[in-house]
Amino acid sequence: MKRKIIFTSLLIFSLVFIIVYAKVDNNKAREQKKTQASETVTQIGNKTIVPEVPNDKKYGHAMMPVDCKTCHDCEVPTKNNPCLKACPRKEFITIYHLPEEGPTVVSLDEVKGDYGAVAFSHKVHAQMSQMSGGCETCHHYNTTGPVLKCKTCHSTTRQRADISVPDLEAAFHRQCLNCHRQWSHSTDCQSCHVLKGQNIKQVEAEKLKKFKTYSHPPLTEPKKVIFKTNHQGGDYVTFFHTEHTDNFGIACKTCHSNDNCINCHDVTLKAIDQNTPVRKTHKSFQEHHDPCSKCHVQQIENNCSFCHQDQPAEAFNHLKVTGFNLAPFHTNLMCNQCHKQPGNFKNMDKNCTSCHNNFVKGKFDHKRVGIELNETHSDLDCSDCHKNNRFDKSPDCSDCHDGYAYPKQIPGKKAKR
Amino acid sequence: MSDNARRDFLKQVGITTAATVGLSSITAKADEYKSGEVQGVLVDIGVCVGCRNCERACQVAHNLPAGDPEEYHNRDVYKEFRRPSTHSLTVVNEFENPKNKLIPYDVKYQCMHCNHPACVSACIVGAFTKNRNGAVTWDTNKCIGCRYCMVACPFQIPTFEYDKAIQPKIMKCDFCFERTKEGLLPACVANCPVEALTYGNRDELLVLAKKRIARYPDKYIQKVFGEDEVGGTSWLYIAPVDFEKLMFPTLGDKPAPGVTEAIQHGIFSYFIPPLALFGWLGGVMWLSKRKKELTESETKKEEDK
Ligand code: SF4
Ligand code: SF4
Ligand code: SF4
Repeated sequence: MKRKIIFTSLLIFSLVFIIVYAKVDNNKAREQKKTQASETVTQIGNKTIVPEVPNDKKYGHAMMPVDCKTCHDCEVPTKNNPCLKACPRKEFITIYHLPEEGPTVVSLDEVKGDYGAVAFSHKVHAQMSQMSGGCETCHHYNTTGPVLKCKTCHSTTRQRADISVPDLEAAFHRQCLNCHRQWSHSTDCQSCHVLKGQNIKQVEAEKLKKFKTYSHPPLTEPKKVIFKTNHQGGDYVTFFHTEHTDNFGIACKTCHSNDNCINCHDVTLKAIDQNTPVRKTHKSFQEHHDPCSKCHVQQIENNCSFCHQDQPAEAFNHLKVTGFNLAPFHTNLMCNQCHKQPGNFKNMDKNCTSCHNNFVKGKFDHKRVGIELNETHSDLDCSDCHKNNRFDKSPDCSDCHDGYAYPKQIPGKKAKR
Repeated sequence: MSDNARRDFLKQVGITTAATVGLSSITAKADEYKSGEVQGVLVDIGVCVGCRNCERACQVAHNLPAGDPEEYHNRDVYKEFRRPSTHSLTVVNEFENPKNKLIPYDVKYQCMHCNHPACVSACIVGAFTKNRNGAVTWDTNKCIGCRYCMVACPFQIPTFEYDKAIQPKIMKCDFCFERTKEGLLPACVANCPVEALTYGNRDELLVLAKKRIARYPDKYIQKVFGEDEVGGTSWLYIAPVDFEKLMFPTLGDKPAPGVTEAIQHGIFSYFIPPLALFGWLGGVMWLSKRKKELTESETKKEEDK
């Protein structure tokens, strides 16, 4: 009951107020409404925005007379996502500067801000980048021609007409911070920038002195890497590193971006033993499998045990697995020089002539196998000694020479291979 | 009056008001829209490094205590989730990146500057203004401190200076209205080292956002937050993960205010002075507060038992 009274009195109170206020302030309200109407926008127009395929500027190797699809497998290759085909491919980029050919230190003083400039140690960074993407890590879209200035595309002021490309300040910071914040676990400014008012020329001279003679320690490549995974049954994945790089010609950057740098430069690693062979990885499932999946498609999809085994695996032995000995003539070849179809290694014809069409009389230099034929034998047909042109089998001497057998008797003299 | 009876009464008031004043008054302003004028900011969460330069720039631009720049690089603040407050109109929060722990997701929050701002509609004295350039600003001289804007905002943005006894203010990002008026960029945009914040025409930003997503399909999810949410917002976001994971509310594409807006606009169109409405709504507020107190004391009593 009490509540009812309160409520009714409140209503009456408001009504009285309405009348009084309306009389006194009617004009004011009208004015207020007017100003409001001219100030406010409450409606946003129709939106039908269809994303267009960006029309990339065509620099450097993009001008080469090859179909982009030869190397890239997506519509719009970009710096971060060049979508390069990883499997054995021809190197199209032919002009490549050595790190030492570039400047040792570069002062980045184009952008003005709260801090001073940056004396950037270009040479050591370039040396490091050889293992994680090369020059085009920074000089993207510009790998073959003369090195373009960053500000050719990246505006030195933030307020600009074309906002589709980051401005120079952003381009620099994105480039540096992307790696540096991963190692330093910080975004502090002073590890790169000098303080405002500090003389950048002096800092540059100091750095120049230091880095003139100093080079980044050479990047070494492990023979194999053993991963201990949490895969149920088959914890170990043995990756034969040199085999992949040497035999398949896979470039470092195909798998590595800046993760190499972190292995040494992560500030938190300093606390633990730098030489420890066991390193925890920060990578996700996908990041671990992606580099492999480009070639090992089927294994990734339905044959985990191809890589995941109960213990570290033995290196691949061509003789044991296939019965074809790579020694002595085929050891230094890349796999794809014989196995021409990517991913298809089986059902190769072991007969030499299936690859070597010059294994015919008069064309073949017999010295290469360590025996220089004498005159009588060099006039013969290959198949006279090598039955059915099976060069992998020992020759048959007994057809002509009773009781003769290779290698007791040889058809000439020993020669240097 | 029993609880049920009161609820019915309120419902009736709502329905009759809505019916009499009609909802048409909201859309009547559509002709005022000039597409080219609405500015916005595209926040690229895939680029932000969480340096909090934007926070500091905002403090400085609004004469709020800013402190030493180096303090902002201390990442301990990320241990707790923060919301914009009376002391900081924008805050950056950090979320773990399951793909790479070393590159966490950093997300800047501030007023979204909605196309149909709930705060504007909720404010019974018109202290909030939706400006032609998209900015939603607040006028200290009109505000009566009712805090309806705080309740109405779907992003929990406006905050109230509870600690000030004299003339407490509603604090929120004003899209650097004073700066943009003079042709300057918003302070946060001007000071972001990686340009995770891009300022420009809202329509252009939408195209840019979609292009970026199309170019890096593996990096971003297929969504521009703010394109449609609550009828669209001036601030737009693209991100590598679902927005729910970054503590963004899941919202429909209808403007947040419903009946409140209708009441307010309706009342204005009939020249019913706002103060009277305030008196009336104040009564409603008082009652609901009392109801809350009652239920609280009831539950307390139950607990005591
Ligand atoms: S200044 Fe830019 S990069 Fe730094 S936290 Fe703010 S939005 Fe992110
Ligand atoms: S985010 Fe909240 S405070 Fe900002 S305009 Fe929208 S409703 Fe108003
Ligand atoms: S637009 Fe201005 S007020 Fe809003 S967050 Fe940025 S600096 Fe602060």
